[in-house]
Amino acid sequence: MIHFYYSYQPVIDFFLLSLGFAYSQQIALRAGVFSIGTAGFAALGGYLVAILATRTEVPMWVIIPAGAAIGALGGYVLSIPLARLRGAFVAIATLAFVKVIIALALYFEDLTGGAIGVTNIPRIMDTWSLALMALLVIYVNWSIGRTTLGRIFAALAQDESVAASLGVSIRRYHMIGFMVSGAIGGLFGGLQSLYVYNIEPNAFGFAFVVTILTVVVLGGRTTLLGPIMGAGIMAILPEVARPLADNRTMVNGIIMILVITFLPRGVGDTIVDAVRHRWRQRRGASRPQKQEVADAVASD
Amino acid sequence: MMLDIQNLYVSYQGIKALRGVSLQVDRGEMVAIIGSNGAGKSTLLNAISRLVPAGEGRIVFNGVDLRRSIAHKVARLGVLQVPEGRQILGEMTVLENLQVGQLALGGRPAKYSLSDVYALFPVLEERHAQLGGTLSGGQQQMLAIGRAMMGAPEVLLLDEPSLGLSPLMTDQVFAALGRLNADGLTVMLVEQNAHRALELTSRAYVLDRGLVVREGKSRDLADDPSIIASYLGV
Repeated sequence: MIHFYYSYQPVIDFFLLSLGFAYSQQIALRAGVFSIGTAGFAALGGYLVAILATRTEVPMWVIIPAGAAIGALGGYVLSIPLARLRGAFVAIATLAFVKVIIALALYFEDLTGGAIGVTNIPRIMDTWSLALMALLVIYVNWSIGRTTLGRIFAALAQDESVAASLGVSIRRYHMIGFMVSGAIGGLFGGLQSLYVYNIEPNAFGFAFVVTILTVVVLGGRTTLLGPIMGAGIMAILPEVARPLADNRTMVNGIIMILVITFLPRGVGDTIVDAVRHRWRQRRGASRPQKQEVADAVASD
Repeated sequence: MMLDIQNLYVSYQGIKALRGVSLQVDRGEMVAIIGSNGAGKSTLLNAISRLVPAGEGRIVFNGVDLRRSIAHKVARLGVLQVPEGRQILGEMTVLENLQVGQLALGGRPAKYSLSDVYALFPVLEERHAQLGGTLSGGQQQMLAIGRAMMGAPEVLLLDEPSLGLSPLMTDQVFAALGRLNADGLTVMLVEQNAHRALELTSRAYVLDRGLVVREGKSRDLADDPSIIASYLGV
């Protein structure tokens, strides 16, 4: 076990970090917002934490929440101009937001180190603390699913006009979706800074956006299991495909195409659906049949 | 007068869907809007609910101009629509769907309790733990009405509640609406099934290509030869 842990520790850590980013991405989708701004939120949190950790004596228990806070603030600010946009337009606008954050990181060289980025960040995160934070995020997402907020998100994701006719303020709950996504993205951006020693603007570029989106699409867009499966696959895939050397990226691509073609809801969501379905069938089988027949006659 | 619509124009996506509609609904009334496909019936409901932008005209509900409001605020005033095709939240249980209905309260006191809904539609209690999407069409319609009840409706707007239902199910749904109205709820019913709608309601408006072409007591309209010829098709 210990041997396993040491040889695969970087894989596990990568899994935990992408898990956090994936939940940031997923919660936006769950709220019916097609945001791909997670990379921007991660950059905001990542830079704030890196700068505070290298230049100030602020204690870590303040720095780490500050990363989440600036991500949430970023989500709030971003939600204002985007309130009138929907679907693919939100995706494009949030991608532009990511580019703006990267441009700002390059521009304010004195603060951010420009293209070189922030170096010599103390490394205080390890597998266990990352796992703890991932559990925290899973718990938050689980709780949201069990509250009115989760129901409102689900209603918004299913049909906005129905949600509105039920009394849900679309603008307000899209804003909350952006803020939760921002907080989780900022938190994990900060944790990443405290893990990788140095950060630079390009780490939050298009490749980051695509990777996180892939995790959620592969894993599933609605269930808690989705990001776990997606991040797991994305972490293990390069290891499994290692003997293929240069063909690795191609094999990655093929596997993704296959999963998206045959499991369009994602691996995690498909598993959860199948389990729920079987569970319901088993329960249904023990139910008295009389009412069923009456309903079948009475319904269309 | 509870709902007063004056000279309402609505056009969207380049189509003039309503061209000067005026109608009134009094408290406790049950009013039918009938007309053929494309007459503008659903657009009228959606304009009241502010789901489509209203053009010129006035939509006044209890003294509040709904044209200046937005969809979720209209719902919180108690103007609750049961949309066409039910629009149940399929991934949520029956009970969760009903709880979502309470969002429309927005601080107003509830008018119906969960047990009131279950008393009206016993099948919803039996199936409270089942996912909304697995209900039959008729049960989904009951759930949609129950969901609106949880939001303390002042006026209930129904868009084609009989659509896709068997005659037997339609009977059950309409009987429930009749009971709600008998208890004092104001109901505005949009129906293509004009025969049923005129049977159930006391007053009706006939919409044709965005205009009110007839209005009157449902009983009189049901006996009117021209209405029978155009809308009640034998």
